[in-house]
Amino acid sequence: MKHPILRRRNLTFYISAWIVISLIHVLFLRFSQNIEVLWAFIDSLVFNLLYAAFALSFWYMCKSISIENLKILKLIENHGAAAAFSSLIWFGLSYALLMNIFPVEENYRLFLRGSLVWRIFIGVLFYFLSVAFYYVYIYSVNFKKQLLKEAELKTLVKEAELKSLKFQINPHFIFNSLNSINSLTMSDPQKAGEMTIKLSDYLRFTLSKNEKHKTKLKEEIDSIKLYLDIEKVRFGDKIEYVEEIQDKCLDAQVPSMILQPLFENAIKHGVYESLETVGIKFSCSLNGDYLKVVVENEYDPETSTQKGEGIGLKNIRERLEKTYSKGNLLKIEKESNVFRVKLFIPIVEK
Amino acid sequence: MAKTLNVVIIDDEAPAREVIKNYLKKYDYLRIKAECENGFEGIKAIQEFKPDIIFLDIQMPKITGFEMLELLQKKPVIVFSTAYDQYAMKAFEVSAADYLLKPYSRERFDEAMNRALTLTNDKPANDKIVNGILKHQDENVDYLERIVVKTGSKISIIPVRKLFWLEAQDDYVMLHSKDGNFLKQKTMKYFESHLDPKEFVRAHRSYIVRISIIKQIELFGKESYRLILSNGQNLPVSRTGHVKLKAILS
Repeated sequence: MKHPILRRRNLTFYISAWIVISLIHVLFLRFSQNIEVLWAFIDSLVFNLLYAAFALSFWYMCKSISIENLKILKLIENHGAAAAFSSLIWFGLSYALLMNIFPVEENYRLFLRGSLVWRIFIGVLFYFLSVAFYYVYIYSVNFKKQLLKEAELKTLVKEAELKSLKFQINPHFIFNSLNSINSLTMSDPQKAGEMTIKLSDYLRFTLSKNEKHKTKLKEEIDSIKLYLDIEKVRFGDKIEYVEEIQDKCLDAQVPSMILQPLFENAIKHGVYESLETVGIKFSCSLNGDYLKVVVENEYDPETSTQKGEGIGLKNIRERLEKTYSKGNLLKIEKESNVFRVKLFIPIVEK
Repeated sequence: MAKTLNVVIIDDEAPAREVIKNYLKKYDYLRIKAECENGFEGIKAIQEFKPDIIFLDIQMPKITGFEMLELLQKKPVIVFSTAYDQYAMKAFEVSAADYLLKPYSRERFDEAMNRALTLTNDKPANDKIVNGILKHQDENVDYLERIVVKTGSKISIIPVRKLFWLEAQDDYVMLHSKDGNFLKQKTMKYFESHLDPKEFVRAHRSYIVRISIIKQIELFGKESYRLILSNGQNLPVSRTGHVKLKAILS
């Protein structure tokens, strides 16, 4: 936290306040103590200038002695001692300055000597006023910070909730698939049975996995095939699926449910939004220490809402980053009418 | 029995259309005139066959069922169906429209058919329902991403990012876009509240302009201003428009 007074605007205000105090000081000496105007001015200048400097340094006291962590008794003890000590030094210094620099006349010297008690009293009073100001300032800054932190935390919690929702299967998909099954029971009961089994297997796989698990790539691919089979019943030959999978990839360990969002995206932005046949290409290869997974779909950049990294892809990026402590493991490419997502999954030796 | 009624089915999934065809078999006085895979085909079929009843899916490619409805002058009786869309469901509920949630049973379908058949004899009631849905959609949609317009028999989709400025023309709004000019039957007020105020500003009673294409504001006569766009075009600015523009551009 920066010093609250040592800033241009506040400093002007601070200096003006001290000028006012100094003038009151002069008036007090002149009319109540019968001191000559010149000596009243000199006295005021020396004492107040010094205190104005002192008061700035009390900030560092307040910063080091926190009110939240200290018992009230200890606090009074600390600040009481500091108040007494600083007031004594203040008086001593001012006294020494006045006596040594100025040719002090007798009348004023007597007054100066006799003023010790009330000056100490004022010093202590000023001390506590400054400290109170600093503490109010510290408190308000901390309070604002806390409000900000709370707001941040709230958005984080919301995001997390949203993510966990996104991780589940799209209800739209489930109900439309069930509608297709209903249709097949009338036209092709045999196929209706097959589709029911596929949907169940797919749901079971999805429900059994969570974010922490890793699975074999082969299992992931199997579940994706179920998903695509189901979508093919719904959309027929509107989906043109091509795959290119190196056999040696199949045993690689990957974070579970990492492919599903990629394919859901491809179907959603490609097939759901297209009037014509849409190509979806899937490839897996081993590149050195990385398993490279590419999912691409054709889409219409004119009308599509597939702008870039939606929540699904962002979620994958973050999961990869967390799992492997490495960034840049997901890449998005857009080429005229092709949307491509590339994953680079590090091969971890067991 | 009753006179023959014409029917059009609009759904992007073949199995979903099959269900409807199957459930419709027993209604021997209904004629299925067309099966459509999307809103474009839907519009065409509706204009060609003037059906009494249509079966309409909401989520379809390019244009939704609602967007398609918006383009129709005469609204037939509609049996809506949707798999899961809280948004759409809300629209049906507030306008007291009947809708089928996929998958639905034969009994539920028959119920919807009974209502639809009654509505074929009550044009005003049907119009009230359909207009209620469209009104609710209008009021509850956030900022637009695209605008669907029909010019003659051609349907165009204008992505909002291609929109330059809008101009009031009687009951219509002329959309000036990168792909040309299009008329849309909507109010300026509608567009003012459905275009992101970070991107568009109502500069005048008759004009809404994309902020990023404004080159400068020029004094035009005494206390009146004109907007100069980056293509050289200039448009009038009203007093309140000028206040808004000053706030945005400064």
